[in-house]
Amino acid sequence: MPEPTWFEEEEFADVLDGRTLRRILGLVRPHWRHVAGFILAITFISVLESWFTFQGKRIIDEVIVPQDTAALRGILINYLIIVIGFALGVFIFIYLTGMLGQRVQYELRRRLFNHLQTLSLAYFDRTPVGWIMSRLTSDTERIAELITWGLLDTTWAVTNMLAAASFMIFINWRLALVVLAVMPVLIAVALWFRQKIVLQFRLSRRINSIITGALNENITGVRVVKALTRERANLREFRVHTDDMYRASYRAHWLAALFLPLVQLISALALSIIVLRGGQLALEGALTIGSIQAFVSYLIIMLWPIQDLARVFASLQQAVASAERTFSLIDTQPELVDRSDAFDPGSLKGDIEFDRVNFQYEADKPVLQDFSLQVRQGETIAIVGPTGAGKTSIVNLVCRFYEPGGGVIRIAGEDYTRYSTHAIQSRIGMVLQTPQLFSGTIMENIRYGRLDAGDEEVLAAARLAGADAFIQRLDDGYRSGVGEGGVLLSTGQKQLISLARAVLAEPDIFIMDEATSSVDTLTEALIQQGMEALMKQATSFVIAHRLSTIRRADRILVLQDGRIEELGTHRELLRQRGHYYRLYTRQFREEAESKWNPWNGATQAPALVE
Amino acid sequence: MTIHIPETNLRKALAAGRLRAVFLLLDGHYWLYLGAILSLVLSTLAQTVIWLLLAWFADSLLAGIGAAGAPPVASGDLLLLAGIFLSLAAIQAGFSFNSGRLAARAAEGVALRLRVALFDHIQWLTFRALDKQQTGDLLQRSTSDVDAIRRFFSDQALEIGRILSLFVVNLAAITVINPPLALVSVATVPLTVVISGLFFKRLEKVYRRYQEQDAVLSTTMQESLTAVRVVRAFARQDHEREKFGRENLERFRLGRRMLTMYSLFWPASDLGGGLQHIAGLVVGGLLVLEGEISIGAYIAYVGILHQVIWPIRELGRLIIHFSTGIVSCQRVLEVIGEEREAEDEGQAPERALRGELEFRHVGMRYEESEAALEDVSFSCRAGQTVALLGATGSGKTTLVNLLPRFYDYSSGSILLDGLELRDYSRGWLRERIGIIEQEPFLFSRSIRENITIGVSREVSDEEVFAAARAAAVHEVILTFPNGYDTVVGERGVTLSGGQKQRLALARTLLRDPKILLLDDTTSSVDTETEAEISAALNVLMQGRTTFIIAHRIQSLMRADLILVLERGRIVQRGTHRQLMDQRGIYRQVYEVQERIDEELEREVSHA
Repeated sequence: MPEPTWFEEEEFADVLDGRTLRRILGLVRPHWRHVAGFILAITFISVLESWFTFQGKRIIDEVIVPQDTAALRGILINYLIIVIGFALGVFIFIYLTGMLGQRVQYELRRRLFNHLQTLSLAYFDRTPVGWIMSRLTSDTERIAELITWGLLDTTWAVTNMLAAASFMIFINWRLALVVLAVMPVLIAVALWFRQKIVLQFRLSRRINSIITGALNENITGVRVVKALTRERANLREFRVHTDDMYRASYRAHWLAALFLPLVQLISALALSIIVLRGGQLALEGALTIGSIQAFVSYLIIMLWPIQDLARVFASLQQAVASAERTFSLIDTQPELVDRSDAFDPGSLKGDIEFDRVNFQYEADKPVLQDFSLQVRQGETIAIVGPTGAGKTSIVNLVCRFYEPGGGVIRIAGEDYTRYSTHAIQSRIGMVLQTPQLFSGTIMENIRYGRLDAGDEEVLAAARLAGADAFIQRLDDGYRSGVGEGGVLLSTGQKQLISLARAVLAEPDIFIMDEATSSVDTLTEALIQQGMEALMKQATSFVIAHRLSTIRRADRILVLQDGRIEELGTHRELLRQRGHYYRLYTRQFREEAESKWNPWNGATQAPALVE
Repeated sequence: MTIHIPETNLRKALAAGRLRAVFLLLDGHYWLYLGAILSLVLSTLAQTVIWLLLAWFADSLLAGIGAAGAPPVASGDLLLLAGIFLSLAAIQAGFSFNSGRLAARAAEGVALRLRVALFDHIQWLTFRALDKQQTGDLLQRSTSDVDAIRRFFSDQALEIGRILSLFVVNLAAITVINPPLALVSVATVPLTVVISGLFFKRLEKVYRRYQEQDAVLSTTMQESLTAVRVVRAFARQDHEREKFGRENLERFRLGRRMLTMYSLFWPASDLGGGLQHIAGLVVGGLLVLEGEISIGAYIAYVGILHQVIWPIRELGRLIIHFSTGIVSCQRVLEVIGEEREAEDEGQAPERALRGELEFRHVGMRYEESEAALEDVSFSCRAGQTVALLGATGSGKTTLVNLLPRFYDYSSGSILLDGLELRDYSRGWLRERIGIIEQEPFLFSRSIRENITIGVSREVSDEEVFAAARAAAVHEVILTFPNGYDTVVGERGVTLSGGQKQRLALARTLLRDPKILLLDDTTSSVDTETEAEISAALNVLMQGRTTFIIAHRIQSLMRADLILVLERGRIVQRGTHRQLMDQRGIYRQVYEVQERIDEELEREVSHA
């Protein structure tokens, strides 16, 4: 395994640059009809909104002031048309916007997931699953939000203000110009505030993650905390963070609370202008009373988007950071790509040869150095050695999850990079230390080994792997669900199923990483039986932890710091009294003690060596 | 400076009804929150007065236009009026800001108190209570649930207050203008509230299904990414794509369904609100024509009407949201309700602890299960070593856990330096007891802090180095990138089991405990390290009463007293020599281990 390196989260900018904007728009381009549709609908709504207000002016100026009831009829009809048209417009824009959002999410997720399938395993070793998951889930949601509601709010703000402004100018352009002069001030204030508020909220989010970390550690280590009587000291330290959080969060909300009143205050200035100037004009007879009422209403209409502006921009900024991260995932290139002339040899039967292989996960940290090994077809190699000796690296290379940094690996005499990756990996059977299953039934999980296998073949594989007996005992047999990742089954059972899965695949190469955790004796025997079945048909590499497995191997490879320390049969190596001897005796004691446990009344020695 | 948190007993909220409990959390901030609500109402009031003033202005203006000669409204009056408008607006803005500010302070205060209370309470939970809890769940309750409560006070409850005060104040204003008009203006409002309530309830159902599918999709992705080796080893990328595509499409379908509901509800409610609006405008207009109200009053009415009809639609959504705050409150209170260790109960003697122990017929049981310890009696002098041998579940760890009072014994008595153990304060005992576990827990702090974390005093570098040297870990630490300042777990600094244990050893050395508990300390490290750790341990054990749990006879044969445990009872006791002279399980274990060694030797020599 590569050293679990500290995963560094890059800082992603949340300032929209041209390139990112173009790429975000690129996501929308296929749906330009939706976009055009909802922009039209919103414009339509904005105009109706202002027209509605205009009818209010007409009631005053044409009905009330001249005492003319007859004019009411026409206005009423206008009203009805507006209200119905408005509802229609709202329906269209909500539907179109929502659909656009859903579509963008759907496609972005599919694209990301499919892209992930092409990336090399090195990427997954470097990147925590949680990080990738955030890109696939919350980030795609935020991008969709940016595209839909962000676009919508902006369009609405523009059309709404334009429509209201146009009606104002139409009614009285001189007064309109005076009122509109306030708008740039308002917008400037809103944008300045946006900056402040966003910064403050970002600060409180950062403190929040510190708090979560502190909580997490204190909860997982609570027993130690108590044993060390650290309660009071820890609380004191925690108080510093919570107080910081209080201050930052309060300040952010304080700013946010200030924003709306400030907008209202500035708009009151506009209101005063209407009263002052409009009043004079009205006294001169240049402005009707209904017009003054309309001006006040239009002012209010224009304020709506500005009130929202700060909120919209804050979420926009988050979305831009999401977009940057997501694009960085899309831009990641697979490190291993097949040669253009790669071919499928049809079979991987044949000797496997490591010829002076060098390998490293990170620069300057060599894992394997000048490593050479010849494995005959059908042979079983047990790999032993301490953690970090390079056991997993050998397996990773055989599977071509990684390729050698230097030297050649040959399968059946041919440099294996000449084969297609698919050709190699589709002929490998693998059982991991912590077996990975998928939600679904046992049947489905075994069939994962060969998708076109019939039920009978699945059953046969399970029988061969020694999994059949316990499956039959389950209530729903092969139709039993395994739970998320296989949580409903024990480790031993999961291993039996992954063995059956590998048996069904009829691999040419079999790879097993034995579990270190102990399973009960019966299951252990069944697992051994399953391994036996696989080792018979394939060239096998086993990262071995159990004596029975080690003894069953044709040869044992003792690794130490990426070099072959010892290589040979069990007997040969024991006689050398070197590393293997020490590993073996330690393991021997451990296993003997657990099997031969006086506490269970078993004082008779069971056969330890067959 | 530390922010003051008003004293309160959160347990009071525990006994209250679910809704009342939420508001009891405000304890100490009631006036703030009341101030927030009051400011909200005053702000709304100022806004409405502006409208009423506008009515008066319009009427005066009309009178002026009609009258010949000197207008009743002069330019100077207009200026005055504009000034009044501005002042009213300032009042409105001031109160509105004040309301948000106060609510934020109250909400942040509530959140601060809950965070601190939970952090502290979890630390003081009894081990019995901790055994029932899950880490992730506790974490979620201390973070997202607290945040939900904070939002409840700063956003949701305030927003409901805002909508209600808008509605009430403006409706009152309309009533002042003309009572029947008020009735007409809100005729459909009850219907709107009921329908929006029903809609959001239904929407919630669809939303939940959507969320469930979202979870299914997440699981599919998570599994596929976690099992990426399996996927690749079987070359199943296409299969994964297909599986993912299916679930993704299903989520898309459910999302579309939710959307269709939305896109029908909003226009429908717009239509309803719009018709209500028109009805108000027309009826109001007719009232002016009939001379019931003035034109100015009508103008004010047009502005006010808006505030009565439209915000009320949101009420349904907010009320549904209300429940999340209540649920979070209950989840937080559940933790607070768990049993906590009394901090300072018991005595803390001035004199030093000697470490003389006597167990008299001690029994202990966990919740309702069978006895974990029964009739355990033995004694040891200060500085002696007691070893415990037994199978898993025989009660070794239970026995050792009684000493720092992690659990209290249920019967019998334990005397420490002649005094009943239960009468000592837990803190006092734990400060004098050192524990080294099989897999020590290290904090994600620097190595230095991990060593000094057990002592409250300032520790000099010399002392830290000395402890590390005694624990045979000083040289190793120096090879780390930042030496003693290296943060555990960061940037690839992963410690092996043996290194962790030696750090724990250094930590314990610095604490200088009088009683030492070693839980299978050398079982999980390799042979070479085992020798080093054993040597360090022997130094540590000098002059301290030590309890060793081990399963290899070799690690415990030098103990002053060996207790063999079976199902919570002592079945054999004595020194190694005495036990070897008896027929019994101890000798059997010894013989088995001997025989294993012989067998091994035989196999190796035959190879």
